Amino acid sequence: MMKCLGRLCVAMLLGWAVPASAQMWQLDAAHSTLTFTNTYQNVEYTGQFRRFDATINYDPGDLAHAKFDVSVDITSLDTRNSERDHTALGADFFNAPKFPKAHFVTTAFRQAAGGKVTADGVLTLRGISKPVVLTVTFAPHGDTATLDVTASLKRLDFGIGAGQWADPSMIGDGVTVHGHLQLRKANP
Amino acid sequence: MPLRSTEQGWGALVRAFHWLIAVLIVAQGVIGLSMVQMGLTPAKVRVFALHKSIGMTILALVLLRIAWRLTERRPADPPAMPRWQRRAAHALHLALYVLILAIPLSGWWFNSTANAPLVWFGWFDIPGLTGGYDPVWKPRALLLHQTLFWILVALLAGHVGAALWHHFGERDDVLRRMTVGPRKQNGEVR
Repeated sequence: MMKCLGRLCVAMLLGWAVPASAQMWQLDAAHSTLTFTNTYQNVEYTGQFRRFDATINYDPGDLAHAKFDVSVDITSLDTRNSERDHTALGADFFNAPKFPKAHFVTTAFRQAAGGKVTADGVLTLRGISKPVVLTVTFAPHGDTATLDVTASLKRLDFGIGAGQWADPSMIGDGVTVHGHLQLRKANP
Repeated sequence: MPLRSTEQGWGALVRAFHWLIAVLIVAQGVIGLSMVQMGLTPAKVRVFALHKSIGMTILALVLLRIAWRLTERRPADPPAMPRWQRRAAHALHLALYVLILAIPLSGWWFNSTANAPLVWFGWFDIPGLTGGYDPVWKPRALLLHQTLFWILVALLAGHVGAALWHHFGERDDVLRRMTVGPRKQNGEVR
């Protein structure tokens, strides 16, 4: 009897350790994408990172405890052009041998105008950390949810293709990143 | 110089097409063979873009040239020319037309399978021929583009050689009527 009560106590303590309204989600990697659009010779193209991991703690009713932590395998870059991918991973661009991972972590969530949610965060890419703002669209469906995030960033802020490749008419500076994450409740 | 071709010689428009396309093809060959040797720099990207733009220009000019040729007669072959030579010359000309159409098309195809941009002299975007990146067909398209180019080089050697042989060997009007125009009956250049 005491043993059983003890277990109950441990379970209750663990339960209280997690904020009441926080919701942890597991990434369904097979149905999630991390894409970006940029221009090359003023022609728009889309690329993606095929491997990334995300720890998502999100409850639309409790933004104070929300947190996204995303790690991206830079070497999984795919722009549907093998020469471009090969070049992009090299020292002039992502420098994947030295910086194989990019990391994004949120610092604060805000309820923006029109019911939109934005997340402030820090993106570390090619060894450079810069603030990045995400637009967050969250749609729960029972034990699953879709999370769409969009961010605009500038490649030159992170030293990607600086120097001889800096000319934006060759490679656009602005990059729009879009994450489409399929989530499952971690503790349904 | 009449615009249209006659029984004696080629019209101005045919000659303009011939020499404009000839100059562009020579430039294309030099650019194409040089650009693949370049290290990857923005300059290389620009030279590739130039090669693609000139190639699409040649394709458009060849289509216009063929359309114009279909409305025209061709000048008569020199009377002294044996039948096998006439046949060989006409077959060679037909092959050249096929190649100068097929080479830009194969380049366009290769560019499409590589999912590379194609912006005509930085002016407007030309869409791809296929549904985007295709790593299976891409090397085949490149091989076709290169093979057709070397066949063209070989046939052009025959074409130029035959033109010079007509001019300096046979001393007929075949080369002259594509350049300054045929001689008049009394030997004057018209």
